[in-house]
Amino acid sequence: MLFNLSFKIFQRELRSGYLTSMLVSLVLAITIVSGISLFTDRLEKALSAETEEFLGGNLKFESNQNTAKSKIQRQDFQDIDFMEMVLFASVIFSEEEMQLSSVKAVDNAYPLIGELELKDKSGKFLSKESPELGTVWMDARLQNLLNLSYGDKIFLGDSEFIFAATILYEPDRASGNFAFAPKTIMNFEDVDSTNIIQPGSRVEYNYLFKGPEDEIVNVRNYLETIKENGDDIEVLSEDSSSLGRTIDRSENFFLLGGLIAVLLSACTVGIASQRFTRRHVSYVAMLKTLGMKTTQIRTMYFLLFLFMTFLTLLFGLILGWTLQSQFINLMSSYFPTELPSPGYYPILITCLTVLICQFGFIYPHITKLITISPMRVLKDDVSFDYGFIPVLLMGLAAFFLLLYLYTNQLTLSLIIFFGVIGFSALGIGSIYLLLGKNKTGLGASSPILLALSELRRRKFGNSFQIFAFTIAIGLTLITFSASQNLLGSWQTSIPEDSPNNFAINITPQDKENMQSFLQENDIKSKPFYPVTNAIIFKKDEQNEDDKIDRNFNITWIEELPEQNDILKGEWFDKNLNNGISVSDDISERYKLEIGDEVFIKVGEEVIKSYVQSTRTVNWDNFSPNFFIIGHPSLFKDISSTYITSFYIPSDKQYLAADLMREFRTVSVFSIEELIEQIKEIIEQVTQALNSILLLTSLSALFLAFSALQDGFSVRKHQSAVLRTLGASNSLIKQSTLFEFTLLGLISGTLGALVAYAGIYFIETRVFETTASFYPEISIMGPLLGIIVVSSLCYYLISGITRQSPKKLLMQ
Amino acid sequence: MILEVNKLRKEVSSGESKLVILDDVSFNLLEGQSLAITGPSGSGKSTLLGLLAGLDTATSGEIYLNGEALHELDEEQRALLRKEKVGFVFQSFELLPSLTALENVMLPSELKAEDEPEERAKYFLDRVGLNERKHHYPNQLSGGEQQRVAIARAFACSAKILFADEPTGNLDPKNGEIVSDLLFEVNSETDNALVVVTHDHDLADRCDKKINLKLGKIVE
Ligand SMILES: Nc1ncnc2c1ncn2[C@@H]1O[C@H](COP(=O)(O)OP(=O)(O)OP(=O)(O)O)[C@@H](O)[C@H]1O
Ligand SMILES: [Mg+2]
Repeated sequence: MLFNLSFKIFQRELRSGYLTSMLVSLVLAITIVSGISLFTDRLEKALSAETEEFLGGNLKFESNQNTAKSKIQRQDFQDIDFMEMVLFASVIFSEEEMQLSSVKAVDNAYPLIGELELKDKSGKFLSKESPELGTVWMDARLQNLLNLSYGDKIFLGDSEFIFAATILYEPDRASGNFAFAPKTIMNFEDVDSTNIIQPGSRVEYNYLFKGPEDEIVNVRNYLETIKENGDDIEVLSEDSSSLGRTIDRSENFFLLGGLIAVLLSACTVGIASQRFTRRHVSYVAMLKTLGMKTTQIRTMYFLLFLFMTFLTLLFGLILGWTLQSQFINLMSSYFPTELPSPGYYPILITCLTVLICQFGFIYPHITKLITISPMRVLKDDVSFDYGFIPVLLMGLAAFFLLLYLYTNQLTLSLIIFFGVIGFSALGIGSIYLLLGKNKTGLGASSPILLALSELRRRKFGNSFQIFAFTIAIGLTLITFSASQNLLGSWQTSIPEDSPNNFAINITPQDKENMQSFLQENDIKSKPFYPVTNAIIFKKDEQNEDDKIDRNFNITWIEELPEQNDILKGEWFDKNLNNGISVSDDISERYKLEIGDEVFIKVGEEVIKSYVQSTRTVNWDNFSPNFFIIGHPSLFKDISSTYITSFYIPSDKQYLAADLMREFRTVSVFSIEELIEQIKEIIEQVTQALNSILLLTSLSALFLAFSALQDGFSVRKHQSAVLRTLGASNSLIKQSTLFEFTLLGLISGTLGALVAYAGIYFIETRVFETTASFYPEISIMGPLLGIIVVSSLCYYLISGITRQSPKKLLMQ
Repeated sequence: MILEVNKLRKEVSSGESKLVILDDVSFNLLEGQSLAITGPSGSGKSTLLGLLAGLDTATSGEIYLNGEALHELDEEQRALLRKEKVGFVFQSFELLPSLTALENVMLPSELKAEDEPEERAKYFLDRVGLNERKHHYPNQLSGGEQQRVAIARAFACSAKILFADEPTGNLDPKNGEIVSDLLFEVNSETDNALVVVTHDHDLADRCDKKINLKLGKIVE
């Protein structure tokens, strides 16, 4: 019975159209939230799979000695796959040519994760095996430089090999220090016969592990115990590559869009359910006089909202799924294979969002509704105590929960929460001050007086409307600005001529020749940085606790590299006794403060210095970047090679090969592909974000519309009475327009302020860039307010003036 | 002649069918006279009153209100006429809930942009015996008190003619009597005409003229 009754009410409500704004905004929110979270979930999974592949396993142990292997093999790890490889650089000869190559010798367990894509004379193929004994694979660049065809002989150390295939794609690209030169892959068992590895040669042994998470932890704990100076343990972590950061950042954008959409529709739902309650007051009173129990009525409305939840979830999830598959399509060119299917988390977060909205913004109103006295039927004017405070508290609690759900950070949520509350209090306070005290009378003698008196008289309702408009306008401006400015600066962060080639291993003899080579060919390069490998000790090298257990590539230069900013201390100065400059993350991680003494060990030499400054480094600028930079005076006696990066335009690509032929020992590698990939992703993310912007603006429009509609239902009656008393249409029209234009102006201005605060916060906290001032917002806010509010109002006004006074007769 | 009605007809179309609510209604009313419209429920009383007061338009027929051809005026002109010449009292009071009693009564004067609307309003509120309650809101007043405020508002229009649709219909007999006394008192004082729709025979009997409606037609 109850079920049928509430289903009937539900149908009636649907048909009446009163629920439209609530339903549409809920569906919109669910669409955006589920679309975004499904999409980012799949993206993240794809990314983590890719990082895993990049690393080559779940855990990597890097060592300069091969002593680790026997120790590891003595341990009895469960379910762990294990492989060994050795990396070194060596010159490889073909019949006519020679070239430095970075060689990776892999054992038969290779590859632990992923597949290689190779090419031989019969075409492209995939492989999950290591090269056969006596054969090598090489990348296309090396093949060209050595002028090789499949089956040709090459010479490496004391041994000769057959060139069997070209490497098109290899999974474990993160391999250590030698990864820069053109690549050769050979079988581990062939290494001995080359006699290349002698005591004291620079080689790196890598041990890769793959297995379940808890067992990997055991492996890691064990490795920590056998780890020696210069060894390194790498685990799968947030990818710190440019690509990873790019995707990370876009996820931030997406979540921001999602949160804003949810907050907007939460407000809409709040307004709509308030109206719903008002409409149902006499209905509930009537049901009560007819003898329906409170619990029955409660169940009935509960069911009603269950139907609503179900309906909105159904539509929202279908639309959300469509949205994310659109996004995936956009990005599909980047991901070669099908993206992993999403987990349960996105669905969970969506349902949780709907639930919080229901309990925070709908349920309190219903609870109020149920407590209404049946007297209401007898005497129309038994005042309906709306119990504003508990409803407000529930709403605020839900607001906070949503914030926390989406940011997952307590402090961040608290800041936003109290920021919003403070702002609202400020706004409402200023409205009360601005409008002043009520005067006697409605001021119906002129449109302006009438409008002002209406504003004054409905201070409370108006404050709420202004609050809603302010939120709608402010959040739209934030989204707009994010898409325009943040994305814009992101896009221009990769300028057309950003370096697309790196050159390393430049000997001091080659340095000058290479600089003139580049100059002759009109190629702009970044500075040539000297680079050497060093270990840094804090205070005393004898004390184990003070050891910074890490190999650094350090450089020394007098000029501060571009896009590096001094955070603390001072950059080098001719007149100072200069020390070193440390990047901010290193100073944080190893607790290096300004003035701290450090010992830099290069080879056998130990240089004493101190921390003179800390810097922020832009790792995305495709220039050589360094954690540690010293003053040249400290490193006078240190021999080093040089590193630089430069931009070769696409029509001069042949210069790369020329360069390599001329400077045999220099390694040149192209990051063209990576840059293209990042640019493409930014492009696609921008497209996806613009559609989010569109949806968010739509939610904002719905919020503004429902806030207005709410105010207008009160006006209908008043307008009919005034018409009976002979008020002209134009009086009502003009005063209403004037009133709402003023409301629009006020909320637009406040919205601009909200946007400024929000953008500042987002720029400094979320994206950690420097905040900028966008003057256009201070014009756009009020303008948007006036235009949107007054045109919505113009649309609604006809509903009022069409209100014939004769309706009052038919009560 | 304050009111002259000729062959008034009102039809409404609901879907396919046409419904005749008023048919061939004609009568006159002199200045200062009072008229009672009676008849069973659904006979068209409220509809007629709405037409007379210019709240609605007839399908055919003529209405002259204070000499002006109401049936030839458009919506805005009728509003203007209402402002200058007509007062109206509804069965369900129709006070604005956001205004105090005093402010409700001030409305007509404000719309006419008259001087000192507050003083005039106080006078009329005093006249209906609600001087003490002038700063109260409608939901703080009883039904009878609200109707008295509505009457004060109608008088504040300084109308030539006052229309009242069952002004006592929502009130108990005692309050009903107070309200109808008020209507006639002020009517005789200000010399305006009064048209009242009522089920109340006592009230109808006090009027100078009576018309009885049945199925939209005047019957004797
Ligand atoms: N807009 C309309 N559409 C359809 N029918 C209408 C409309 N307006 C009035 N009616 C019908 O016209 C008839 C007369 O209505 P009216 O309100 O004038 O009656 P009444 O005499 O005032 O009744 P009561 O004493 O109950 O108030 C009724 O049957 C009513 O249903
Ligand atoms: Mg009636």
